[in-house]
Amino acid sequence: MTPTLAVSGLSKRFDNVIALSDVTLDVAAGEVVAVLGPSGSGKSTLFRCITRLTEPDAGRIRVDGQAIDALASATLRRARGEIGVVFQQFNLVRRRSALANVMTARLPSLPLWRVALGRYPQALREQAAEALRAVDLDPQRDQRADTLSGGQQQRVAIARALMQESRVLLADEPVASLDPHAARMVLGLIRTLARSRGLAVLCTLHQPDLAAEFADRTLHMRSGRIVSGADEA
Amino acid sequence: MDIVKDADGPARPPSAQADLVPTAASRTAFVPLLGLGVAFYALCLHVAEVDVLRLFEGLPRLAGWIARSWPPDLSEIDVLARRGLETVAMATVGVSFGAIIAAPLCLLAARNIGVTPLLALPARWLLNALRGIDSFVFALIFVAAVGLGPFAGVLGVALHTAGSIAKLWAETIETTEPGPVEAARMSGAGRLRVFLHAQLPDALPQLSSILLYMWEFNVRASTVLGVVGAGGIGQELKNSVDLLQFDRVLTILLLILAMVTAIDQLSAWLRRRLS
Repeated sequence: MTPTLAVSGLSKRFDNVIALSDVTLDVAAGEVVAVLGPSGSGKSTLFRCITRLTEPDAGRIRVDGQAIDALASATLRRARGEIGVVFQQFNLVRRRSALANVMTARLPSLPLWRVALGRYPQALREQAAEALRAVDLDPQRDQRADTLSGGQQQRVAIARALMQESRVLLADEPVASLDPHAARMVLGLIRTLARSRGLAVLCTLHQPDLAAEFADRTLHMRSGRIVSGADEA
Repeated sequence: MDIVKDADGPARPPSAQADLVPTAASRTAFVPLLGLGVAFYALCLHVAEVDVLRLFEGLPRLAGWIARSWPPDLSEIDVLARRGLETVAMATVGVSFGAIIAAPLCLLAARNIGVTPLLALPARWLLNALRGIDSFVFALIFVAAVGLGPFAGVLGVALHTAGSIAKLWAETIETTEPGPVEAARMSGAGRLRVFLHAQLPDALPQLSSILLYMWEFNVRASTVLGVVGAGGIGQELKNSVDLLQFDRVLTILLLILAMVTAIDQLSAWLRRRLS
């Protein structure tokens, strides 16, 4: 079976520093794969290269067998929609509501005036509310993002990724800014969603115990390489 | 600082001697530089025809005018109030037009939006040019082009203010957080949608505050536009000074003070509420 996310030979260097060296990995539908490694090991670069926030020097990225690398920028923009993303710092628009933040996923299809005023069509509002229900935040939907707790903000960010209806979820240190209780809640939620929606989840972490508890597989990175775990399945 | 360095000079290791070389050099340069500065200032005093004697000779005349200005002439207060309103209207409409011109300019100029990176530099040149030419100068030209009256003032204020607003707005937008922008870009949305969704809400209080400040500033600045014939209370002021009607001048000055103070207070109050 084709893996949902397939990365092969991904490499990136900054000046003389090799950040990623020939990284190859697969993530299947419904699977949670953790990437562990000390800071500076290339985890964040891996994340940024797969999402194409940073351009890799070489390598292939496929989602459902379809290559999303080597694309012109207009198609790349659409291709980015194929991957849902959760960031360490949540990256919510502080002065917008939880619901409006979830709506971020649908920006390309909305007219400019709706984007500016934050007035969304009823059908989309229903869908965003549904995504918020999936992360257990329905009551907070009209609350401004900066009034939510860290754990709640990260759950809004997960709902934002769900709203995108992508098959792949990439999470970069999603719990590094959270207290232990909120961290476990967020990771538990990510795993549940992977199972129930068949999401392929690739998640960078720096705590081995969390990786052992919540991930199906763990990859270890050091100096831009995956040093173990790549062949387990 | 130099003196301290000299004082503990002998106690320093030899390698620190290198530090003293540029210091010594800058001290030897200081005396000629100071002399040059003094000479330049003296030249300016001469060119500006500063003459304390003439000031003393003029003082009795000034005192006479001040004496004659009391009591203020309130006979035409309705005309003057209308002219004051004209000044406020000129500034208000001018700033609103300026904001309309500034909006696309700041979107082009802000480095973290980059709607069309190719146009960023020309946009910066344009806004710097607009900002560099005072509304007074623009008004002078527009009086010649569209005739006497407040409309020339409106156009003058609009062009100069467009440059100032665009620059301040672009700088504000550049301080917004990059994180939410990255998240919004991941949706595949274009830069304008990303700006409207992720950057505008966070920048909006500051953008509004800048607009209010520019309004307040232009009400003050527009009082002089009448001097070049661009309407408003400045025109009455010039006429009254020319005709040596100092009781009328006093009325106008009091009116300007009241008007500017009221607008300043209102604007400051609104801006406090925004932050």
